[in-house]
Amino acid sequence: MNITENVQGNVHQVYLEGRFDADTADKVEEFIRKKIKKKISHFVLDMENVSFIASAGLRVVIVLAKELRGEHKGDLYVAALQPSVYRVFEISGLNNVLSIFDDTETATQSFN
Amino acid sequence: MQRLSFDFPADTRILAKIGNLAADAGRNAGFNDVGIGDIQLAIDEACTNTIIHGLKKDPSRTFQLIIQWKTDEIEILIHEKGEPFDPSATRIPDPEASLEDRPVGGLGIYFVRELMDKVEYRTDEEGIKTLRMVKRVSKS
Repeated sequence: MNITENVQGNVHQVYLEGRFDADTADKVEEFIRKKIKKKISHFVLDMENVSFIASAGLRVVIVLAKELRGEHKGDLYVAALQPSVYRVFEISGLNNVLSIFDDTETATQSFN
Repeated sequence: MQRLSFDFPADTRILAKIGNLAADAGRNAGFNDVGIGDIQLAIDEACTNTIIHGLKKDPSRTFQLIIQWKTDEIEILIHEKGEPFDPSATRIPDPEASLEDRPVGGLGIYFVRELMDKVEYRTDEEGIKTLRMVKRVSKS
């Protein structure tokens, strides 16, 4: 899993590349938690290059979105999902409770 | 019936390889992309449970994965001698629940049950646990 980041205003765009599974989920969680400690609270998780997501990846998204909404008045938006990855969000019903956008630019603008 | 059998270490780094093996077998059995994605997710979740909960991520311990398929059907068997596990005791997540009310776990077993046509757990007299999952190509 490769993680890169771009900052636009107060929004941190986090780009993931690879599989988001039990082997890589901790890495993503740690990356974002370090930012939260620095009082960053608005994130877009770009998954255009995520080929596969498992429940371990969803767990990270659920935990962080809950925490950011609750304690930090922020949020974690999800963007650019491949159809096979979107299907996993759909089966779990998470597409109804998370903010999912077609692309990172639109997600970023929605914060403002 | 085609058959592949592997002994894998209890190490999450093996999951990517298992995903590729499942995709190849699913494709050979005649599943479309959605069916292949479902098989990959179910096998990933099942092996993740085995690695993390059954074998405590100890790479010196192994589990056996068998993937067998014929036209329009795939069968996956996972054998392990790990910690006892009662899947019926797992709380099934509610896909309708709000984010605030969602437990953070339990989705893996939910996916396995939701995406495969048949899921069976059994433990033999020697304490070897087997998870058997079957999926057929949907004709509808």
